[in-house]
Amino acid sequence: MAMVQERAMVLADDADPSEVRRRIECLVKLFLKSLMAEKDVAIRPLSLVCRKDRNTGVDGDGIHLMDGTYEKDFTMKKCGKSFFRVWKVMETCYHLLGIGKQLTQRELFYKILSSSGSYVTGQNQVNSAIQDAVAVLLCTRRSLGILASSKGLVVGRLVIEEHDGDTIDCSNLGSSAHPISADMNMRERFYSDARYILVIEKDAIFQRLVEERFFLKVPCIIITGKGFPDLASRALLHRLHQEFPSLPIFALVDWNPAGLAIICTYKFGSIKMGLEAPRYVCDVKWLGLRNQDALTYVPDNAFTSLTNRDVTQARSLLASKMLQVYLNSTWCCSCFDILENQL
Amino acid sequence: MAGGTSGSADLLPHIQLFLRQVLHDLSNGDQVAVSIPVYKPREYPLETNKNCLTIFEETTKYEEISCNSKGGSQRLVAMLRVLQIAEGLLQQNRRATKRDIYYTDPALLKGRLDQSINDICSLFHCSRSSLNLVASSKGLVTGQLCYFEEGRLINCSKRNSTSTGLPVPVHMNEVSNISSGAEFILLVEKETVFQRLTNDKFCAKNRCILLTGKGYPDVATRSFLRRLVDELHLPVYGLMDGDPYGLDILSIYRFGSLTMAYDAEVLAVPTIRWLGIFLSDLGTYGLPESCLLHLSKQDVKKADALLSRSYLQYLAPVWWAKLAEFRHRGVKLEIEAVSAASFSLLADQYIPSKIRGQCYV
Repeated sequence: MAMVQERAMVLADDADPSEVRRRIECLVKLFLKSLMAEKDVAIRPLSLVCRKDRNTGVDGDGIHLMDGTYEKDFTMKKCGKSFFRVWKVMETCYHLLGIGKQLTQRELFYKILSSSGSYVTGQNQVNSAIQDAVAVLLCTRRSLGILASSKGLVVGRLVIEEHDGDTIDCSNLGSSAHPISADMNMRERFYSDARYILVIEKDAIFQRLVEERFFLKVPCIIITGKGFPDLASRALLHRLHQEFPSLPIFALVDWNPAGLAIICTYKFGSIKMGLEAPRYVCDVKWLGLRNQDALTYVPDNAFTSLTNRDVTQARSLLASKMLQVYLNSTWCCSCFDILENQL
Repeated sequence: MAGGTSGSADLLPHIQLFLRQVLHDLSNGDQVAVSIPVYKPREYPLETNKNCLTIFEETTKYEEISCNSKGGSQRLVAMLRVLQIAEGLLQQNRRATKRDIYYTDPALLKGRLDQSINDICSLFHCSRSSLNLVASSKGLVTGQLCYFEEGRLINCSKRNSTSTGLPVPVHMNEVSNISSGAEFILLVEKETVFQRLTNDKFCAKNRCILLTGKGYPDVATRSFLRRLVDELHLPVYGLMDGDPYGLDILSIYRFGSLTMAYDAEVLAVPTIRWLGIFLSDLGTYGLPESCLLHLSKQDVKKADALLSRSYLQYLAPVWWAKLAEFRHRGVKLEIEAVSAASFSLLADQYIPSKIRGQCYV
């Protein structure tokens, strides 16, 4: 695959409130300037980073978005309201950051509904507007003041010391696990004597390992994202990888396209979160379930057939840049096997 | 054949006796048929000797499942499979979650696991926990609460700085020495509201325990709440969305659920109050009218189903009336609407003033 020209990688910054406000102020000034121009008066369109496959690049560190942009123009057909919504989100975030508060996405929806009800009909529109604001300002959602929730869990030979002095010993939590904090402030310190990090796809398997106190038999840290991992879980994994670089990371996922897609998310990132995810990619090794394991250990009646959705997912994975460019042939072959055996 | 009543101690012999009977019938070439008692909601609630009202009764009817029909035989096979696993767990004194059981045989148990467990519990008149079946918990708790779990001290107030709470303990019989300096328990329906309140440091400013079941509550959260109420004798206020699902969730906490009618007495919290959100709050707290959303077709169906429950009308007439008001106007109101008016309105004014003013029902 030929690289036509060197294109810059684009990343959203985890900026300070004052920096985010400054960027919003710049945008407002440019907008007003074009409105007050002596000739060619115009409503300045917003310039957003393109979040489609054609604007992605893959390198050793995974998927990232490049500097391709597109414009959201108020005067274009059907774009008027969504243009307005992005500005409304930026206005609310500007105000939030000024008073040092954070809002959830749902609350943001209600805020916009209460002040400009005719421009918004559903939560999805507000979620898209938030993603657009990230693409315009190149600031992470967290730095815009949007509260995220996190569903991941961590357990095992890890001691977390929070900035206020509290310590949490993840090997001594009984039958429950430590929920991964959505507050990715990175101010905690970690201590560990583990030899491996284990990433589990399913909550059920994770709970089984916790119940059996697996980390006491094999010294490890166990993390689950409960399916497709959210940003907070990936951030924690990345942080652990940085703090303890000698610990190999093994992933245990189901033998189906969804499982493979999950490993790829940890390893390469995703296009949708392409502006924020690249900083969290890690070198994750695929421990299981592998082809040989599936044929050796699993009894025949445990196999279920692939659904149409599984097949579509497998095809899109095979077609995706990450597997093609990365040319990790064993992974590709496994994907083909899954597809062909229809298992 | 019927199962008879069992406490957890004599459950194992009952199960083994039952299984032996099944084997005996099979080896004789007889039909295997099982009669499961059927529960239904009562017309009027009955006061039990446990000082609470039960709204479910065991009818004299029995549902017979046998190998005569295809559906019946699959249901029977699933039930026997789960019973076999439960017997193993009780023998080895081990515990398992529903998911562990599901993955032992997904092809057979897909879509049938809950029904099998309910059948077994109804048949043997036992609770799920006496089968050594533990619930994984999804609930969260934070606030002025300390307890011991498996010998370790858990202090829920220490987690106030971040937005996540502590997971609700799963093994209730390992929880002991519950102590608290709180004045009330605030139960919220949604995790996002829980986050909002921890973000605003609600529990530090008001002496309370904050609990959420993240939507429809699981058994662990309900039994934890019941345990807190039994030991601490604190008032419980429920902060739910003003929609049919909010009221449904609240009534599950208060009365129990029909699918788990056999556990209702142990899990119900009759003293829970509905703090909000009501239509009258729009005027009182200056909430914008545009935050009222229209009821969808499913919402209307759900509301009508709830309004037709006679025990709700009899035992909680004010709740029933409030839901009828929403239904009549065709609207619903979510808690997040309070934040639309002003950012800290929920934590700083709405909840404290409602509790002080006793504006709950």
